[in-house]
Amino acid sequence: MQLKGKTAVITGAARGLGRACATRFAEEGADLVLLDIGQDLDGVPYPLGSGGQLEHTVDLCRAHGAAVLAVTADVRRSAECETAIGQALDRFGSVQVLVNGAGIAAPSGKAVHEITEDEWDLMIDTDLSGAWRMTKAVSAHMVARNEGSIINVASTAGLVGYRHFAGYVAAKHGLIGLTKAAALDYAPHRVRVNALCPGSVRDDPLVEGRMLAEIARSLDVAVEEHEQIFVQAQPMNRLIEPEDIAGAALWLAGDDSRQVTGSTITVDGGFTAR
Amino acid sequence: MATAVRYRVAVPVGPGRLPAAQARSCHSLTVRARGPVAPATVAGVHLWHEPVPTASDTPLALARREAEAGRPLSPSGPPVRAVLLRYADGQSDLVLVARRAALNEEELRRLAAFLLEGTGLEPRIPAPGARPTYPAGARPEAEWGLGDPSRAGLAGTVAVELKEPEPSDATLLAAVGLVLARYSAGECTAVAVFDMASADAGPLVRSVAPDGTLTADAYVAEWAAGDGDEVTAPGPVPAVGVVFGELHPGADHRPFLAPALPLVLHWRRAADGTTDGVLAYDEGDVAPEIARGFAAHVAHVADQLTAGQDRTLADIDLMSASDALAIVASGVTPPAAGPDTSHRTVHGLFEDTARRQPDAVAVVDGDTTLTYAQLDERADRLARGLRVLGATPGDLVGVALDRTAELIVTLLGVLKAGCVYVPMDIRYPEERLRYTVGNAGTRIVIGSADTFPAIEDVRVAAPADLIALAARTSDELPPLAENAAAAAYVIYTSGSTGRPKGVAVPHRNVAALIAATREDFALGDTDVWTFFHSSAFDFSVWEIWGCLLTGGELVVVPYWVTRDTELFYELLVDRGVTVLNQTPSAFAQLIEADGRLRSPLALRLVVFGGEPLDVGMLTPWFARHSHTRVRLSNMFGITETTVHVTEQTVTPADVAVKGRSVGRAMPGWSVSVRDTEGRVLPPGAPGEIYVGGTGVAQGYLHQPELTSERFIEDPYGGGRVYRSGDRGRLRPDGRLDHLGRLDNQVKIRGHRIELDEIRNVLLSHPEVTGAAVVLRQETPGDNATARIDAYVALSGPGVAAADLLSHASGVLPDYMMPATLTPVEAIPLTINGKVDTAALPAPTARETPAPAARPADTSETPAPADPLAADILALWSQVLGTDVGPGDNFFELGGNSLLVIRLLREMRDRGLPRVATQDFYRNSVAAQFIQFVGGGKG
Repeated sequence: MQLKGKTAVITGAARGLGRACATRFAEEGADLVLLDIGQDLDGVPYPLGSGGQLEHTVDLCRAHGAAVLAVTADVRRSAECETAIGQALDRFGSVQVLVNGAGIAAPSGKAVHEITEDEWDLMIDTDLSGAWRMTKAVSAHMVARNEGSIINVASTAGLVGYRHFAGYVAAKHGLIGLTKAAALDYAPHRVRVNALCPGSVRDDPLVEGRMLAEIARSLDVAVEEHEQIFVQAQPMNRLIEPEDIAGAALWLAGDDSRQVTGSTITVDGGFTAR
Repeated sequence: MATAVRYRVAVPVGPGRLPAAQARSCHSLTVRARGPVAPATVAGVHLWHEPVPTASDTPLALARREAEAGRPLSPSGPPVRAVLLRYADGQSDLVLVARRAALNEEELRRLAAFLLEGTGLEPRIPAPGARPTYPAGARPEAEWGLGDPSRAGLAGTVAVELKEPEPSDATLLAAVGLVLARYSAGECTAVAVFDMASADAGPLVRSVAPDGTLTADAYVAEWAAGDGDEVTAPGPVPAVGVVFGELHPGADHRPFLAPALPLVLHWRRAADGTTDGVLAYDEGDVAPEIARGFAAHVAHVADQLTAGQDRTLADIDLMSASDALAIVASGVTPPAAGPDTSHRTVHGLFEDTARRQPDAVAVVDGDTTLTYAQLDERADRLARGLRVLGATPGDLVGVALDRTAELIVTLLGVLKAGCVYVPMDIRYPEERLRYTVGNAGTRIVIGSADTFPAIEDVRVAAPADLIALAARTSDELPPLAENAAAAAYVIYTSGSTGRPKGVAVPHRNVAALIAATREDFALGDTDVWTFFHSSAFDFSVWEIWGCLLTGGELVVVPYWVTRDTELFYELLVDRGVTVLNQTPSAFAQLIEADGRLRSPLALRLVVFGGEPLDVGMLTPWFARHSHTRVRLSNMFGITETTVHVTEQTVTPADVAVKGRSVGRAMPGWSVSVRDTEGRVLPPGAPGEIYVGGTGVAQGYLHQPELTSERFIEDPYGGGRVYRSGDRGRLRPDGRLDHLGRLDNQVKIRGHRIELDEIRNVLLSHPEVTGAAVVLRQETPGDNATARIDAYVALSGPGVAAADLLSHASGVLPDYMMPATLTPVEAIPLTINGKVDTAALPAPTARETPAPAARPADTSETPAPADPLAADILALWSQVLGTDVGPGDNFFELGGNSLLVIRLLREMRDRGLPRVATQDFYRNSVAAQFIQFVGGGKG
């Protein structure tokens, strides 16, 4: 029970890596505040996490004995981020862990000059500024308690470039920069900030993941073909599983990583080692 | 006559510990809902619904309830949280958590009733209000708690089970007070009583000094009396708190989500009057075993106070007889397996060894080497010579020789003659030698007639004379039956008071000492030992016989080598010494030499004895030597119990945690800790160390009264036990913590001070190689003029006294800060290698300048109506911890330079004029200072 007595706030918890982290944390004794947007967005060419999916994550966590608060919130809205953290504190008294998992993979699939102003803004606003807003909302509380672990789910796209994904790559590179700067701001207060860089994660039906499918669609290739490309590109010759990411997040959330801050944990089967 | 004291305190939660502060400021109520719930709404209360996907009686459901009921509120949020846990079987629990300052227990109960049943008026919930403040300050400590600081903030609970039904609140309170009094040798009975109805006022502290002549009834009456009395002057915050509450069926109230003090006892009385208790404790302060013991002792005492009110307090036991025996048993180490040596003599065992390995080297003294056979033969001759001189078995024979091979021959020869050796250091003053001879009644002293004082009827013979005498007779020594119960030696210990006392130690004790250590230390014929210590110091008994009865080679260390660390270090290297015995003070110097000379040592075992060991001094040693290759063994010992009592192998881990343990009793020995009445104390509680087992000496020579006072028949069935006069506490695992001499404990202005502790803090500074701390009284006999003088030996010249003092002030409370700190070349050691306080110089570096004279004309005293004067006097009182009048001098009231800095900082913080330090020293009388600050500028 590595997280017994801790409360974790997870954004993007309705499905995918957010759900994988939530259920793993629940297994390890954490109580949870689970956030997702609960609606689709104009400009994002695929459905986002729904209210039903979030409820399903909540049920999975409660079955492990976790106390859970579900909050519908859009990380692009400061007020919603602050309200969510306020509710978390009213309900649980304290928050020890924040996982910034909310993010979008598309609109993508265009060369830099083809990206529209709105597409660029939407990507940065969600994938980079969203994490900043949540960090801003929770950090004063963590500083006051002299404890906390903030985990930004970045990507290998925060470390290297990908063709036709400039907005996503820029946002994720920015997220790693935010991670390092925030780590320095809060290190004196024993609040840690780290980034997690997953490689290509399999779309596991259990967590209703669809990241790989959406990237394939953005690039206009078949999912199987896209998967094959990454299986070959990742030196361990397999896709990353959601539980691999949840395991790394668990380590960053728990006390075993108490001296780790400002770091980038890469879980990519060796992809960026080349 | 009991004296009762009452005052209110703010319970500090300490700075920078917000999580614990939140938990300590909240309480919770869990109520099982009857039937289906349609909760009412209450303005200001958000009800959180939490489905739990299991039945209400599963472990998962229980864990959920526990977690909710122990979950503190956020300091920024509403003052109450309501969570409804709905289980799969249709049951529900309402869990309310509130800040005590906002809603008290009764209000919580009303809120629960309204939420679940809609009964009563809708409770008013206070607005969220300002962020609560938590009083800061040092948390009180339970000296006996033995908590694990790394677990601070983790709360444990233990049930307190009473056998006698319906005790009164006063009885329950008195029981806690009496247990505390027993735990702290009568010094502390203060208990904080939390009133849940007015939780924000801070607990009322009650203290009743128990008196052994009081009856239980009268004692309980003292605790019950005086409710509503005016509070007296504030005193310290106690370590133990008590809450009185009610037990309602289907409901559970927790007065604190984390104990507000190291221990908080929650008594809960049911409608039928039966009472149970829950003791909550912080594991950072109190070990779980200690908490369990405390709970059991409170219950046992409460039952006795309820049952037998006409008993006197002295008749009340802290624990049952079987519990006391179990504690006594935990301090006993059974004898080591191996041949029974209880019927053997020292010389008999030596002769066995000599027969086994006649040609092995027994003693090396410079160029002289004696094999076991040669040593045996020479000692035989000396014994015959003694007989010729007229010595008969049982006679006490003085031995006043320098450390030489001849001394070993002599000691063995005396034993072979059936006599008892009485070692005397030739460097002792003549007066002491005369006293020893006179007190022991020796007629023969083996020594040099040139140097030993001439004493009437006492024959002084050199060893060579005795051997020559032996040559005059062809008679073999008549065979003597081994008499293991006879004394082998009488060693005079100076003790801290009175004249030296001769301790008579039988042969079998020495045999037991060897049996206890031979296997554990793997002592054998490949070992090389040093004979370093004066034969008049019983550490030498261990050195000589530990070596020669296990077949080792004993290297005699001449006197001048013992005084020169470098020469001694070279001897260790040259001779390939494997077993070294040292006082910590001497070893500290050796560590320093080792760091400089860095020669290969053959050491495999270092035994510390003679003085308390501060493990911090071993850091540089462990940096150079692995503890798996050189075992460092700290042995607490007493002459009266045959050299050693306990053994603790010291590792770098002990250094890291600053371990104070001296370990468990050696095989065959036992330790226990008892109070001033001789009652066994539980683990944790400090008291006098009692030693039993095979090491207990016969007693003091010719001092039957003192012997019967210190060597007593154990009422707990442990045979003869020795009251050591040392202060210690037993740990739950049977190991002993040594806390210094009982008579080394001094009180300065009401604070108990342990000089060894101050010394250890100084030693923990990396530049300090030696330290000594003494208590002096400016006016002898007047404890109000007591002052702590510290002396340090430094590794280099670059260390400022101010650095050291600031290092010390980081650890020591102000009242333990030395008044002076004097650097010395080296800490002087006695012949026995212990710190020689008499040889320390007068303090030269007074930390504080001499106090200025009081103003002769007290008419200058400012009128008390002056608000500045009142502010300054109040500030002085606060900083000095005592009342201050205009004519008082800061330094005479215990002020020191650190307090000056604190005072001036406080003044600045309060917006009072800034004052330079040197100006303060020039105006250190309150009236002068007030005038100076007021604008007169001195």
